[in-house]
Amino acid sequence: MSLNKITKQISGTEKEAENNGRISIFSRFKLTTELTLLVIIVFIFIVMTVATPNFMTTYNIGNLFKQASVIGIISIAATLVIISGGIDLSVGSLAGLVAMLVSVMISGNYMAKPILPAILITTVVGIVIGIYHGFIIHEIKLPPFIATLGSMIILRGIVKWISQAKTIANLPKSFTTFAKLSLFNSIPSLVLVWLAAILIIHIVLTRTTFGRNIYVIGSSQEVARLSGIRMRLNIYGIYILAAFLCTIAGILMTSRLSSAIPTGGSGYELTAIASAVIGGASLSGAQGSVIGTMMGTILMVMIVNAGVHLSINPFIMEIVQGALLTVAVVIDMLRQRRS
Amino acid sequence: MNGPRKEFVRVVQVSKRFPGVQALDNVDIVVHKGEVHGLVGENGSGKSTLIKILMGVHQKDSGKIYINGKEVNFKSPLEAQKKGLSAVYQEVMIAPELSVGENFFLGKLPLNRLGFVDWDKVYKESQKTIRDLGLEIDPRRKIFNLSFGDRTMIMIAKVVREKANLVIFDEPTSYLTIEETDTLFNLIRLLRDKGLGVIYISHRLEEIFKICDTVSVLRDGQMVGTNPLPGVDENRIVSMMVGRPIDEMYNIRRAEPGEVLLEVKNLTRDPDFRNLSFYLRRGEVLGFYGLIGSGRTEIMRIIFGVEKPDSGEVIIKGKPMKFAHPYQAMAQGIGLVPEDRRFQGLAMSLTVRHNINISSYGEITNLGFIRRKDELSRTEKLVDALNIYTPSIEQLVNNLSGGNQQKVVIAKWFAKNVDVLIMDEPTTGVDVGAKVEIYRFIEGLIQQGKAVIIVSSYLPEVMGLADRILVMAEGDFMGEVRREDADEELLLSMACKVTLNSAAH
Repeated sequence: MSLNKITKQISGTEKEAENNGRISIFSRFKLTTELTLLVIIVFIFIVMTVATPNFMTTYNIGNLFKQASVIGIISIAATLVIISGGIDLSVGSLAGLVAMLVSVMISGNYMAKPILPAILITTVVGIVIGIYHGFIIHEIKLPPFIATLGSMIILRGIVKWISQAKTIANLPKSFTTFAKLSLFNSIPSLVLVWLAAILIIHIVLTRTTFGRNIYVIGSSQEVARLSGIRMRLNIYGIYILAAFLCTIAGILMTSRLSSAIPTGGSGYELTAIASAVIGGASLSGAQGSVIGTMMGTILMVMIVNAGVHLSINPFIMEIVQGALLTVAVVIDMLRQRRS
Repeated sequence: MNGPRKEFVRVVQVSKRFPGVQALDNVDIVVHKGEVHGLVGENGSGKSTLIKILMGVHQKDSGKIYINGKEVNFKSPLEAQKKGLSAVYQEVMIAPELSVGENFFLGKLPLNRLGFVDWDKVYKESQKTIRDLGLEIDPRRKIFNLSFGDRTMIMIAKVVREKANLVIFDEPTSYLTIEETDTLFNLIRLLRDKGLGVIYISHRLEEIFKICDTVSVLRDGQMVGTNPLPGVDENRIVSMMVGRPIDEMYNIRRAEPGEVLLEVKNLTRDPDFRNLSFYLRRGEVLGFYGLIGSGRTEIMRIIFGVEKPDSGEVIIKGKPMKFAHPYQAMAQGIGLVPEDRRFQGLAMSLTVRHNINISSYGEITNLGFIRRKDELSRTEKLVDALNIYTPSIEQLVNNLSGGNQQKVVIAKWFAKNVDVLIMDEPTTGVDVGAKVEIYRFIEGLIQQGKAVIIVSSYLPEVMGLADRILVMAEGDFMGEVRREDADEELLLSMACKVTLNSAAH
């Protein structure tokens, strides 16, 4: 029996045979993160559907995914930066700032400007913040952690300052209805934007030079540079793209809540980083995928939602979220050590 | 060791021809019981063909094979196995989904009285086999959960269970860690002491010296010689493998020098080096020799734009350049194989495919999108052409041997098709086989009209490869020596800043 296999091995070209053997093992490992997450998500879905009557309702599921969409897009931003070996702690504050800016500009109580220019201006602000990150990280050589921790606090300060720590409401109908739209009466507009972001960034990461460069930079900046990768262009690109994604998330968040609150998006940076890491991203860089992050986000949001439906103390759910992150990373490390 | 060893396998005048190649040409080899017989040779020398004929996979065209003095004529591997011949390959071919124990009992699982598989017996007996070899592997574990080292050990255990008389190892250590290699060697010694014959194929000569009692060298399908070990040195074996004396291993086919590609004028970067001028023509190999700290690496980093000079010019194809970044040098057709491949040359946590294409994705994109097909076909082509030994192009470079890692770095610049390739100590930590191959790549490059700069602290290497050798000492340019004038004493004295006359005192 074993001999037949040996024969096959010898008679095929050696390389071919090796390829077959290795690829199957390899893809088994490679799929694990995403597949495992999918199984867990489906499992929780089933358990929740059986356990409570209010979980599997159009309203709740729609709400769950709408909420996941905003965090999901921010998580993609976090993932990009993490793959490049950096970290962006300012994603939540930036989304909060965008939300506040756009609200101040279009709110009937404040400037009451037209929507489109307001969105355009906030997008520019978001991109400028991305450029600033690129500058302070690439030119000044500040560690990303410190650079973005500074921004996180600065931006949050700006939010509170321009809003005078007040909630800004009275936004135009045409702006707030966007979040209430849905395709075929079932897929919420927010989810569509999220899916589009997933698809686009997935393609960018896997199919473009820029995307491939992000992984190389995450593996080693020195190697990337010595391989002729244009570091300035790429580092700026990464932080600008991340900031742009946060801008979109901030605008969607405002549309969904029909208002902007001074604490909007706070804490999102941690959920986003957790989602990315649960989804297989490594804080030492060069590893991570948009699909994995998407699963991570769904899991994080779903656990909170499930807790609410099971009337579990929300503080306990926070503990569960933290534990989930820890366990996910430990499992990932063990798996890598083994292979 | 203990009296004359009994002959086990004798191969006499075996030839095998494949369309277009004479794979084996009247090869003789004798393997004794209780002997570890090393088999070495460059790629394509016929090692695999010989093994496949022994194992009954291929049939010989002519010649005879004797086992225990009786002529055999294997028509299939099954017949070979019945005579006690077994092979252990680097990629284990046992069923990866099954447990270790099941693999031991494949096709002959013991049943209990009720007709069910007697798992107790399977695992107990397997455990015993494994323990007898001094190993600690749980027989309940699935093969795919085991490290490559443990898989190899399991293959050996299986071979032992099946009472093989001759075990063939083909590059068994390619994926093993140092500790696993030690365990493997202990197992091989155990097999030898049990009176089994072992054929051990490896690129790594230090392994051959460590484990083998005898070594046979194949070259171009012919048996060049069989020598007892110890009793012959590494240089001798290498020269037998490459077919010329060791000094000539570096002898590459020269090319006619063409136009000047790269010129450096009065380049200075204090305190690393001062006032360096040289030129490099198409088809040339320029050597940089000097002791550590002589400024060679810094020169290369400046030419490649990693660092900036204080003054001086770098002129490429007649145009003065001011490089501030490597991508600018790369755009002008320069590539650098850096000194430290693990920290400068390779993205260790990424795949072979990714690493090979890092520098040249721009050339296989449509509107920014990478053409996957081109990427794959070009990667496969380079892996083939450079003989990169990897289970797949999706393998992480971290898992490759030093020689193969270095070949991936070189492949990266082949993909980019640079005109000037700067290689800084390209053969450190590289096995002899890969070393010779790297010299062949240099030969290939200059034949195509490219130019190569090689920085090396190993005198025979610079002397053998370079057309002209520039000698540096403490940042000073000590002079240029032409290949035909180079001798070790001269170069070394220049590098130590002593004149030959004063050295004589």
